[in-house]
Amino acid sequence: MELLRATAGWLLDPGHWVGPDGIPTRLEQHVVICVVSLLVAAAIALPIGTFIGHTGRGAFAAVNLANIGRAVPSYAVMVMVLPPALSLSPKYGLDVIPIFTAMTLLAIPPILVNTFAGLRQVDPDLVEAGRGMGMRERQLLLRLELPLALPVVLGGVRTAAVQVVATATLGAELGGGGLGRYIVDGIARQEDDRLLAGVFLVAVLALATEAAFALAARVLTSAGVRRTARVELDAAH
Amino acid sequence: MRLNRALALGASLLVLVGACTTGGGSSSSPAGVPASSPSSAAPPTIKIGSDGFYESKLMAEIYAQVLEANGYTVERDLGLGTREVSAPALESGQIDLKPEYIGSGLGYYDKTKTTADPATNAAALQVILTTKGGGITVLGYTPGEDANAFVVRADTAAKYGLTKISDLTAVADKLIWGLPPECSAGPLCGGALKGSYGIDVTKLNVKPLGACSVPIAEALKAGAVDVAELCSTQPAIAQFGFVSLIDDKHTQPAQNIAPLVRDDYLAKVDKVAFAKLLDAVSAKMTTDALTKLGVEVAVNNKDVKDVAAAWLKENGFIK
Repeated sequence: MELLRATAGWLLDPGHWVGPDGIPTRLEQHVVICVVSLLVAAAIALPIGTFIGHTGRGAFAAVNLANIGRAVPSYAVMVMVLPPALSLSPKYGLDVIPIFTAMTLLAIPPILVNTFAGLRQVDPDLVEAGRGMGMRERQLLLRLELPLALPVVLGGVRTAAVQVVATATLGAELGGGGLGRYIVDGIARQEDDRLLAGVFLVAVLALATEAAFALAARVLTSAGVRRTARVELDAAH
Repeated sequence: MRLNRALALGASLLVLVGACTTGGGSSSSPAGVPASSPSSAAPPTIKIGSDGFYESKLMAEIYAQVLEANGYTVERDLGLGTREVSAPALESGQIDLKPEYIGSGLGYYDKTKTTADPATNAAALQVILTTKGGGITVLGYTPGEDANAFVVRADTAAKYGLTKISDLTAVADKLIWGLPPECSAGPLCGGALKGSYGIDVTKLNVKPLGACSVPIAEALKAGAVDVAELCSTQPAIAQFGFVSLIDDKHTQPAQNIAPLVRDDYLAKVDKVAFAKLLDAVSAKMTTDALTKLGVEVAVNNKDVKDVAAAWLKENGFIK
């Protein structure tokens, strides 16, 4: 109870909301790491997932590779990347390249696997019907398969985003910024209020990310798909 | 809670290590230094322990081998764990001797007493240990020490003419500093830099990195940071030719190494000869020697036994 009060006091201290170690700065750094790694991961995983989902080719290799990637701890990735990154660029090799690499690798598997699964679960009869109506492959993909797969694809991006928001705290271990700074510094200085404030802020950001993607999924999913989903849900009850 | 678990682990390790090493110590023929005890009876077996990391094991092994070469039978319990395990092991008589850092060893009992002067630390540690476990004696300490060190690359040292920490004051804001995350709040880091050297760490370009860690050494080597807090015997210093800056205002606790021996063991042997034997070995162990031996063990992955034997031979303690 005493600790909770101390943590609340730490968060409410105006001194902790300004300057290079202030909450807005650390939040911004954290968001930049997450957004950039997610965009890079999406740029890699969405095309590959779409290709294998649409054609069914290379699915076994890609999905298994992605799942192996899930098993590699992010901190191990950072430590492995550190020496080559440092020799590549002393300026960015320490606190930029390792964390971005680790977060991108963390985000790829859920996006890739969900994109693949989302496309695979599209009813083959619908695809056949589309073909029968004279839709080309490109049209089939863009106007039929992807809209139908979108809720599942977005679910993958959402999982990736929440994982990255929580794990990007590791960047602070290699001199980086972000909200992890409060956690690592709090442990090192034995300042439990700073540590818990960091944990709280990361948790809030992760929940906000989750909520934002839930909202985005609602807005972006076409009305027809939403209705179908609800009917299926009702039928299941 | 954690201590209990550590103790339990330590105890089981003791049993394990004890089981593995009994009967190992082959007493080779006395060499170089004359045998300590003039009586025909061999001195009683001495149980030597150490902390878990390589430097502590190495020093324990060096003391063990020089004793064996002089007719003692040694039982090794090396790598017991942390000080929270090895200090009680010595106090309770599970081991008779262990190497200790006179700064951290003193800090274990009283954090307020550590100073930058080795003689003061050793004397203060002796005062405390006299009352522990029926009496423990601090023998002579090494000139070498494994202390906090502020380290730069050779090219940075040449460029700014850096040899001591006070040389950093004028160029502090031109450099990128690799400092532990607790530095600004710590009296030995941020406090010492500001109070004694006039360097305010809160105004520096700092990359927070664990002191003495592998990443901080790699960052210094690559130029991601220009000054780093390492340990003075860290292998990376010898490996990459870093320059340790002299702590000319004496801010860091002296961390020379000394053997701690139980008085009840010393009472059973020729105490003066025993102390003379180990003091002669300690006197030769410089910071430079510790660093180079560290490279052999921690970088080149050589066996602690072989590295200890090679150093003892080189210095004429054993044949």
